[in-house]
Amino acid sequence: MVAASDVGGARGGISSIARMLDRVPASFRIGAAILIIHVTVAALGPFIAPYGASQMGIGIPLSGMSWQHPFGIDQLGRDIFSRVIHGGHVVLLLSICGTALGVLVGAVIGLLSGYAGGWIDTVVQRLLESIISIPFLVLALLAIAAAGPELAGSPFLVVLVVGLVYAPRVARMARAAAIEIATRDFVTVARLRGERAWSVMRREILPNASGVLLVEFALRAGYAPVLIGSLGFLGFGMRPPTPEWGLMIAENRALIIVSPVTVLGPGLALASLVVGLNLFTDGLARIFGRSFVRVDR
Amino acid sequence: MIMLRLIVGRTLLSLLTLLLVSGVIFVILEVLPGDVASRILGRDATPETLALVRAQLHLNDPAVERYLRWLGGMASGDFGTALTSSRPITRILAPRIFNTVLLAGYAFLIYLPLAVVPALIQAIRRDRPLDHTLSVVTLVLLSMPDFLIATLLMIGFVVTLQLLPAISLVDQSSSAIQYFRAMTLPAITLAIVMAVYAVRMLRDNLIEVLGSDYVRMAELKGLPRRAVLLRHALPNALVPTLNVTALNLAYLIGGVVVVEKVFSYPGFGSLLVDSLQLRDVPLIEATVLIAAAVYVGANLLADIGAILLNPRLRAS
Repeated sequence: MVAASDVGGARGGISSIARMLDRVPASFRIGAAILIIHVTVAALGPFIAPYGASQMGIGIPLSGMSWQHPFGIDQLGRDIFSRVIHGGHVVLLLSICGTALGVLVGAVIGLLSGYAGGWIDTVVQRLLESIISIPFLVLALLAIAAAGPELAGSPFLVVLVVGLVYAPRVARMARAAAIEIATRDFVTVARLRGERAWSVMRREILPNASGVLLVEFALRAGYAPVLIGSLGFLGFGMRPPTPEWGLMIAENRALIIVSPVTVLGPGLALASLVVGLNLFTDGLARIFGRSFVRVDR
Repeated sequence: MIMLRLIVGRTLLSLLTLLLVSGVIFVILEVLPGDVASRILGRDATPETLALVRAQLHLNDPAVERYLRWLGGMASGDFGTALTSSRPITRILAPRIFNTVLLAGYAFLIYLPLAVVPALIQAIRRDRPLDHTLSVVTLVLLSMPDFLIATLLMIGFVVTLQLLPAISLVDQSSSAIQYFRAMTLPAITLAIVMAVYAVRMLRDNLIEVLGSDYVRMAELKGLPRRAVLLRHALPNALVPTLNVTALNLAYLIGGVVVVEKVFSYPGFGSLLVDSLQLRDVPLIEATVLIAAAVYVGANLLADIGAILLNPRLRAS
């Protein structure tokens, strides 16, 4: 186990970075490497992709793999390799924004509720518990259906829905952390010193809960591409012609009898991103001394 | 006595949660700003159709009254009438739920060996190449969305091997064999997704149990390795995984939504998606509430199991 202070101990210079890398878990290093590749491709993708995301007539539709088109051509004659690359920033941005929203809202609700205690906490906890009882994907689909046809396919709706699904689950963790921290001596001391609730919250509870929240963010971000992909796959997420990977798998799946390779590209991209995120989170959780347990999907 | 009180308390809490869930569903669908009727009809709305849908859903009554009437209906087994087909919702639900229960049972049968066998192999070959390989495989499968696993299985079994049908359409007239063929791929998909969660935990539990005193005792007694593994280590390692299995049961409700849709299997999950696509509000309310009830029920069972298995509570 590595203490958190060891990780932030680098003072510049390649040797100290190497020494720091030596001390973090292997899963963290491999995960970070995969994520760096994904972020680089997502950032540079639109400039280096051989073809446009919606550029049609690139080759013979469903003609299979070739050196020019490693992931094949879809039924509209678009280069799937280029579409996968163009989709990178879509998937990453939606995942990060949605997760950030969920963690932010969840942390505020959970920390306040846990620190407030009493009947407020009981009511909030019961309410959160009931929202969590609606399965992940079902809640997301329900919210999208309730938003109505005008908002359908909008990236804002996808971000909002990911936030809505995550917030109660994050709140439950944040609440547990707040309750645990509130019993520690330094919080009692701060309170006895006459500090107001708000400043205890900001200066004592929040900094000590940040590790939990960071791991929670990574954990949730690891599932976000899957959730967004599932929504796209079912026709409730992003709309065509957006090169979102789940949506692409759904589009290309219709004709897998003719050309099965068409689903491999977006599938590989989605799976490798989630593998990277999971390894990274596993390492991060070890650094913070927490075990990596994905409790719900 | 304490046990009984804990179980009753936990059950009451679950019922309260379910009551709140019904409120949440109702608020999300019917109370949030915006007119339900125009949301259902979308762009095709005319004043006449709007008035018709409003009358059908009693939208002119106050929300609290509508909620109480709906809740009373659900509690007495009357789920109302579907908007799109004008059929009683219980009639629509019954065959779909039957199909899904059948599928879930089949998936569970595949799930058990799929979780236990790799974990046993990993525990026996601990820290050897085979253990590491299986760890990587489960991590990759853990990271793959269910619709991707389903699609890959489809490429394997339908496109390449041509063993199974791509579309799993069944109805009351289907024979048992047709049902069996239709359910195989969706069941394997669900089993894989559930198993990868259990394998990792079961492996760690097994390794912990194998290092314990009573296993060493059994080994020193001269029991064959097989007997030590299967009769002494495995049952004890399985107890903590009960929780994962309950979570897996809860996953199944979300999982069937995607997997049934992928294979066009006419179960509860595809009914849920269809009702959402058609914006059939009464049908959505009924299906989502049932999905939540199964989730709450699965968690309740897991908690009761934990209470019953807790020896400290058993002694008193």
